[in-house]
Amino acid sequence: MGQLDGRVACVTGGTRGIGRATAEAFLREGAQVVITGRSAEKGDQALEEMGGGDDVHFIGGDVTEREDCEAFVQGTVDRYGRIDILHANAGGAANPAAVAELTDEAMQETLEWNFWHTFWTMRAALGHMIPQQSGRILATSSLEGKLGKPGLANYVVAKHAINGLVKSAAAEVGTLGVTVNAVCPGGIETDSMTSAGPAAAESMGMTYEELKAMFAEGSAIKRLNEVEDVAEVLVLLASDAGAGITGSLISIDGGTSPY
Amino acid sequence: MGKLDGKVAAITGGTRSIGRGMAEAFLAEGAQVVVNGRSAEKGERCLAEMDAGDDAAFFAGDITKQETAEGLVDFAVEHYGQLDICCLNSGGVQLTAPVAQMTDEEWQLEMDWNLNSVFWGMRRALQHMIPRESGRILVTSSVEAKLGKAGIPGYTAAKHAVNGLVKSAAQEVGTLGITVNAILPGMTETDVVVETGPASAQAMGLDGYEELIDMFTKDSAIQRPNKVEEIAAVAVLLASDAARNITGTLFPVDGGTMPY
Repeated sequence: MGQLDGRVACVTGGTRGIGRATAEAFLREGAQVVITGRSAEKGDQALEEMGGGDDVHFIGGDVTEREDCEAFVQGTVDRYGRIDILHANAGGAANPAAVAELTDEAMQETLEWNFWHTFWTMRAALGHMIPQQSGRILATSSLEGKLGKPGLANYVVAKHAINGLVKSAAAEVGTLGVTVNAVCPGGIETDSMTSAGPAAAESMGMTYEELKAMFAEGSAIKRLNEVEDVAEVLVLLASDAGAGITGSLISIDGGTSPY
Repeated sequence: MGKLDGKVAAITGGTRSIGRGMAEAFLAEGAQVVVNGRSAEKGERCLAEMDAGDDAAFFAGDITKQETAEGLVDFAVEHYGQLDICCLNSGGVQLTAPVAQMTDEEWQLEMDWNLNSVFWGMRRALQHMIPRESGRILVTSSVEAKLGKAGIPGYTAAKHAVNGLVKSAAQEVGTLGITVNAILPGMTETDVVVETGPASAQAMGLDGYEELIDMFTKDSAIQRPNKVEEIAAVAVLLASDAARNITGTLFPVDGGTMPY
């Protein structure tokens, strides 16, 4: 018996990284899972690797587009009949730079990727969860949702905004059987970090290796986190046992964040 | 297969309430458990009710005394051969009062119960865990560790302090396979609350138990108390191998009460 038997989940950015690990953990616990991503090719590959048969489904689309975000949620309901768990997970830093040099486009794109995507999917999911008086909204925030970092303001701003959104929404739907929480992971060497990390490091005035070392050094465990660390916490938050946890910004960062 | 197979846990104040919930959850996941409390009678009853045979044991003693906190750790090691999980859970107040009326005696009791017992137990447990390069320390903190509440200044101060202790200790042992975390429950409807709530409500001039519960849950998003099982589930996760990279975290189980 799984902790999520009979549940239906949608995980944005679910083909790789934290989203993929979460989707696999949800599947293992008995849920049916929709994963989303931009690339149909990566989606097919993920489905094949996950081996979940009819219990896992891919929907292609771009989280920086509102229509796509709404289609992820509607597509989940169309495919499996309902949505119990939304994991708004996709995100990253687009063209990071110091504030004095940060372009409008880099700020806008990063906000859309992280914050607007979380808002759009959350609003659409609440439209289903409020009438059914049950649901779990999970957002992948970040250590940078609690801390500032030089050269990374667009990402930091977007993740802080997600934390505020989570706390407000949690207070709105707290008595309706719907919980809204964020996880705040520390540095994890996902595919996304491998591809975007070098640019972020450059913006922060260091090499990619130095960036990884900086994340490890700032933690108590002196190493990076792993995607499974996050997935296990998300299973708990999504399960019945998580019913009393809402509006929480849970640090999964090896002891890095000050609060 | 349990998530805590082969692990040994010690829990301060584990005969009832949240500690008891942790003990039962740990047993269900395959751990051996030592619970502690002042009353030998309650200890015997707890063991009988948990019905775990040799996998559960009771260590009697007043946790506001250093010898109890340290003795519990030593007993677990002697009895089961090791200590993997130390839950520093016991806490509370006796005759608490606003700052202006607080007696030195009550203040000292609240510090001993809520802060010093955690330090004494943590220090002893770490002395055992550091050479083994493995361990989990879990502290039952509270929403009062982040919020001030009128009339319980000692408890509030001690719980704030406990969070600091957790974060410092986590930094010290982060590379040694040991994690140190706190769980911050909101108002939790334990067996003790159900039993003593009506009398407390009367003493506070409230119109019954329901009004007492409402008063303590009105600031939450869920507008209801938390459940022991909700806290125990987080304790199991943090105690398990899956949480090896989670440390120094103040994990809320408060239905959306705390501002951060």
